[in-house]
Amino acid sequence: MIKLIEKIEGEAKLNFNFKDAKIDFVDIEFMSTRNIENILKGKSAFDALVINPRVCGICGHAHLIATVQALENCYDNLELSNKAKIIRELTLNFELIQNHFKWYYLTMLPLFGQKQQVLKATYPSQLMGKAIALFGGQYPHTSYAIVGGVVCEITEMDIIKLQHYIAQTIKFVEDNLVKIDSENFLTCKDADTLLDYEGDLPDILRQIKKEKLLKYGKSYDRFISFGENSYFKKGKSLQTKVSHNISIEHVKESEIPSSFAKNVSFKDKYYEVGPLARAMVNKTPLIADAHKKYGDSIFSRILARVCEISQLLEHSKKLIKDLDLSEPSYIEPSLDISQLSASGYSAVEAARGTLIHKVEIEDGMIKNYEIITPTQWNLSGGTKDKQGVSQKAMIGLSDIKTAELVFKSFDVCSVCTTH
Amino acid sequence: MKNKMRVLWLSAIACNGNTHSFLNYPFLEQFLDDFEFIYHPVIDSHYTLEDIVSKEIPCDILLIEGAISKEFQRADVSVVDIIEKYSKIVQKIVTVGTCATFGGIFRESGYSETSGLHFDQDKPSERFHDLLDKTISVSGCPVHPEVLVNTLYAIKKSAALKLDNFLRPKEFYAYTIHNGCTRNEYFEYKVDNHQFGELEGCMFYDHGCQAPFTHGSCNKILWNEVNSKTRAGLSCMGCTEPTFPKQNLFSTKKNMAIPENLPVGVGKRVYLTLAGISKAFKIDRLEKKLFDD
Repeated sequence: MIKLIEKIEGEAKLNFNFKDAKIDFVDIEFMSTRNIENILKGKSAFDALVINPRVCGICGHAHLIATVQALENCYDNLELSNKAKIIRELTLNFELIQNHFKWYYLTMLPLFGQKQQVLKATYPSQLMGKAIALFGGQYPHTSYAIVGGVVCEITEMDIIKLQHYIAQTIKFVEDNLVKIDSENFLTCKDADTLLDYEGDLPDILRQIKKEKLLKYGKSYDRFISFGENSYFKKGKSLQTKVSHNISIEHVKESEIPSSFAKNVSFKDKYYEVGPLARAMVNKTPLIADAHKKYGDSIFSRILARVCEISQLLEHSKKLIKDLDLSEPSYIEPSLDISQLSASGYSAVEAARGTLIHKVEIEDGMIKNYEIITPTQWNLSGGTKDKQGVSQKAMIGLSDIKTAELVFKSFDVCSVCTTH
Repeated sequence: MKNKMRVLWLSAIACNGNTHSFLNYPFLEQFLDDFEFIYHPVIDSHYTLEDIVSKEIPCDILLIEGAISKEFQRADVSVVDIIEKYSKIVQKIVTVGTCATFGGIFRESGYSETSGLHFDQDKPSERFHDLLDKTISVSGCPVHPEVLVNTLYAIKKSAALKLDNFLRPKEFYAYTIHNGCTRNEYFEYKVDNHQFGELEGCMFYDHGCQAPFTHGSCNKILWNEVNSKTRAGLSCMGCTEPTFPKQNLFSTKKNMAIPENLPVGVGKRVYLTLAGISKAFKIDRLEKKLFDD
């Protein structure tokens, strides 16, 4: 049976095969592509900073940061101030947070039979948009991160405004999502104690438990995360065994005949990316506990994503304290891009997981550009013998409604996938 | 129940940037009280996309996001067919963003005959000629949420909107992005030593800023209610115009050291003469740091 899954920043077609009234195999098809990689070819390298945020309206900032880092990777000895690094990390954090709110209130709640809460999605997202705009001028679609730093200079007054946006967002979390002090939420090590709290998150977690959905959504229990910064670590986690020694060389993209989305594997195996993967690699106690009790199920996946909101808000507060305003925002590269022929790559953690950009430049012009998006990792459509992460997570379910919930628990981004 | 205006938000070849820009509108509660989406890419609606393409759902305004090509389908139906069906029953059509208006970035995405609804860049396109009277364009990549929402309210009120040659409401597009930029003085007095990462300086001379010849209200109606790209120190990329995206966006194209594109309506000879005179001001305040020790 074919079902069109809508409102995932586009659509995907899921073809469900049933055997003995249980899902036996799901074919995932994305129906279009926008050929961004081709659009980039032959353009001046810096223009990628303007074009690439337009890969995606909801996580375009991650594409900007991935682009600037891939371009900077083409240089030898490029200088970057700590201030610029922190500012970039902050704005990327804000975009992740914005995504998580939208996913929870717009996508997840309706799947649990609740009314979509548009204003609860947009109120904190707008605050995070303001926080990005403070540095980048606007959100979505700024190109404020350029090779050598960021275009903006910031003042103490900007920092004060920024702290207000963050404080107001934390207050929203404490008044709505999980009605406890954020610091207590972040130090909580027992996933079951969350079930005793009030708030939109505990409500859903209780519902998962009550409706016996705790075992749903399990896949390979294999996680990977390549984007490193002051908060996220690079590494993979096989069940709970974490190793940090992984190389992007082993990431492979391959075409599939049935869909416009390409498969992505690491050493020939499919891995889950996203907040749950990041928390497993980072060994976040609360998520590790949920995983110990409920595995890589929708419970752990939902909790990890929502929990990341509070983690990143708190971490952003710390990052602001590390900002030294006397440092330069931008250091002009000593080599003009038109004299550069090189290749570079980057990996950043976008809301939905690892985003990889690879670029080849010849005399400052783009010769080749490759983008691997998080949704490609999670939704790689394998064959029956070698299923993708989300495909495997839907096997054995008896109805399409639950399968849709499992599928959307990966926070699918169709536009990114069809870049 | 209140009589809400019914709106169909149709995405063609798009990044959903306008969808998410719209979600930044500060008074969404009010908006959703006055308008109902029969379909929207992320907001729940009474109908599914499959309903929209297979039936004819009553609708008052058709919003189109993204570049348009006959080849591009939604729910297995060509977006051109969907547009043709709904354009007949709606009062107004709004092309939301630069792709839907002029083709934009995704004009180059490789689908046959991809363009905006009425324009292929700045060339009028014949395809939907009979819909010209119904259409309003709100260009921008993305469109500013207030520009979109207040245009919809103007439609609701049946207010007479004056439109420019590209069907854009003059109320928003008669201005240039340059109007209201906090860096204006560096432009006026020709202080041309801008470096990225500073509060001072104007990006027009070297860094490709298109604000003086790009139409829009970015520095009049601020983004996210707090800032604009040029205020932050990023060049205006000309994203509301049919030419978006031009090439070499971070550097100013010059002929004999004179910027090739001058402010709207300004002749080269006059510009040269006055620029020379303006430079003579040598205003100390603008030559040094804004927050001087």
